[in-house]
Amino acid sequence: MIYLDSAATTPMDPEIISSLQEYMRDQFANSGAVYGIGLDAKKKIEEAAERIASALGVPPSHNVVFTSGGTESNNLFIKGLCFPDKKNAYLGLEHPSIIETLHSFKNFGNEPFSLLEFNREGRLDLSCLPLLKEKRIKLLCLSHVNNELGTINDPSPIISGLEKESPQTRLFLDGVQAVGKIKINKSMWTGLAGYSISGHKIHGPKGIGLLIYDSKLTLNPQLHGGKQQFGVRAGTLPTPLIMALAKTVERAVARQQETQEHFKKLQEHLIEGLKKREIPIVFNSSYGEFQSPAMVNFSFPPVEGEVMVHHLEKEEIFVGMGSACSAHSKEPSKILTGMGLTEEQARCSLRVSFSKDNKLDEINIFLHAFEKAYQKLLPTFKKRAVDE
Amino acid sequence: MNDQRTILIRYDEIGLKGQNRKYFEKILLKNIKRALPGDKGIVYRIPRGRIMLDLSESVATACADQLSFIPGIASYSVGTSVNPDFDEMAALGVQWIEPLLKPGETLRFCVRARRSAKTFPATSPEINFEVGSRIMSRLGEKGLVVDIKNSDFTLEIEVGNNEIIMFDNRHPGLCGLPVGSSGDILCMLSGGIDSPVAAYLMACRGCRVHFVFYDNQPFLGRGGYEKVLKLSKIINRYQGRAKLFVVPFQDVQVAIRDHCKEENRVVLYRRMMYRIADAISRQYQLQGLVTGESLGQVASQTLENLAAVTCVTSMNIFRPLIGMNKEGIIKEAKKIGTYEVSIEPQPDCCSVFMPTRPVTRSKIPVLERDEEKILLEKLQVEAIANIETIYLDDL
Repeated sequence: MIYLDSAATTPMDPEIISSLQEYMRDQFANSGAVYGIGLDAKKKIEEAAERIASALGVPPSHNVVFTSGGTESNNLFIKGLCFPDKKNAYLGLEHPSIIETLHSFKNFGNEPFSLLEFNREGRLDLSCLPLLKEKRIKLLCLSHVNNELGTINDPSPIISGLEKESPQTRLFLDGVQAVGKIKINKSMWTGLAGYSISGHKIHGPKGIGLLIYDSKLTLNPQLHGGKQQFGVRAGTLPTPLIMALAKTVERAVARQQETQEHFKKLQEHLIEGLKKREIPIVFNSSYGEFQSPAMVNFSFPPVEGEVMVHHLEKEEIFVGMGSACSAHSKEPSKILTGMGLTEEQARCSLRVSFSKDNKLDEINIFLHAFEKAYQKLLPTFKKRAVDE
Repeated sequence: MNDQRTILIRYDEIGLKGQNRKYFEKILLKNIKRALPGDKGIVYRIPRGRIMLDLSESVATACADQLSFIPGIASYSVGTSVNPDFDEMAALGVQWIEPLLKPGETLRFCVRARRSAKTFPATSPEINFEVGSRIMSRLGEKGLVVDIKNSDFTLEIEVGNNEIIMFDNRHPGLCGLPVGSSGDILCMLSGGIDSPVAAYLMACRGCRVHFVFYDNQPFLGRGGYEKVLKLSKIINRYQGRAKLFVVPFQDVQVAIRDHCKEENRVVLYRRMMYRIADAISRQYQLQGLVTGESLGQVASQTLENLAAVTCVTSMNIFRPLIGMNKEGIIKEAKKIGTYEVSIEPQPDCCSVFMPTRPVTRSKIPVLERDEEKILLEKLQVEAIANIETIYLDDL
């Protein structure tokens, strides 16, 4: 099997699996209990939060809250801070867990402000910042790394730009595709209101993620119950998952430089390999400084991405066709059409994303299978293009 | 109260059968035995006009639940055997009714006896009176009242030749005929809402329905295959021993897509589906095809297009939904438990194969000329040679 869909999820690291097994066996006590083993569990959780903060360089000014994953973190921060009437802005190319959360405010007369016209190759053009002041925007929500394209919004210039142009606007970043895959600048935290992370994108367990947020802010809880986690997120804490997440984050950060170098090689090999083939490929983002090396998104009309995915699946090669959360939607990816791609280009695209375990040879096998499937499918799809 | 129970099963249409009634009874009994666990010490009996199961209380509820999936049963009740003694009958009635009484509220009840053993000394109305008055004398002061027309609680007493059964419940069955009494047929299952309902309705007419699914892999993913597997397993629960034939269909579709007229595509795909279903039916001695078509529901289900697919086979074609509207079909699908699976978002055909404007009134000679452009028989033979056969009981 060749797995090239690591932006959707990653297989768990064997070491994390064995640690998790041990934690599940040993750390069963409720961390809210007052007896010894409960206090031990509480201590383990506090240690985990400290280890994560230390690995990522999170300052004491920010709280670490454990959630079920990226979607919950995004919902918790945006709704917790802004529901129902605080004004929000977004680029329009974010993950559905941001876009749909913002759109849920519409029922309360609070339409999010789209900055899609300031999209420059998948990133936010900072010339929009004065507009945020004019529109009295309280929160700007962006992807740190776009989940379909891999384009990077560099936080530092956005933070300094906001300080200057629209100081009342806070910045929230979805960091699910960033941690462990690109370098995280530790100086960003002081200017960040919130940041979300998911365990399963970096070889950790599913069902555990993080929200890191500025402790000066008051978040209204979205789950009510006990007073766990600063009163922001009720519910018994999953001690084993939290401990496994701490180990996952530490490992991802420790080998980030090495991983990034590896991704760059894979990315370059894939791009060059695609260019060499006699297939009219359109790359859906520019590959340079502001691009995550962890993924490549490209179109190859008239052959449809979904059909290509299934033909590659027959060869035991697994790739993505956009956000996995909307993979069953018949609509083409809003991120790609938002980027200015036609519906056909958007439908006829693939997202190939890497993990530390992928080898150059696997890219060769993918390239060969892709070309073979493309040539097989082309006559059928070409005829449709003529018919229509 | 002892821990033995008797489940009393009433027939539906079998009751109207004449000399061949035993044949239907035998099949229904076989279906019941197949559906119930084999090692629970259940004793099966067929006194006249009924099937009775003697079993322990611990398994009675689970077994009764299974009966709700067996066509041919009008209703069933879980009861208790009692001695021909009105005091004993009334005591059991009190035991059942007393927990239902609430202070300050009334509970309406009645007793309904049915005496098939004419040797029993009291008539049905006399039994009602004897048992009912004894219960009233115990519980009348606690809010129990007699109401024959609008009772909240009905105590039923079946007096047979060798036994008397009392019960406080009567569950409706699926009615119809027992599966296997009519024969085996083949349903073309798409993954949508309609075809599982059509299969279920035919199972209730005594057919064992096997399934055929035309698989679009690798143009589509395995989701459609998994969905049809789930649907056929749900329907198989009503009948058992059914097979699912998965036909690789993408080569047929590609050939039609690439060589035939765009507007004819859907009808041409369907003509091939009917031909393949015909061949499978003949191979397995199945006696007809069943589809979920409903007249005019979609472009392929007009009178002309139905005629265009019907004429490629000489098999019996059953379309039990032909006169139903969508709402009625959805209601049935919800009842039998297939609706939630059917609406799972799985495409059943890749968009590249769909025409922009499908023909609604196709002409058979035009379709036949179109089919001359493809290697029809070769495609059909290849598809049939690569069929995957799944025995649904094994899953």
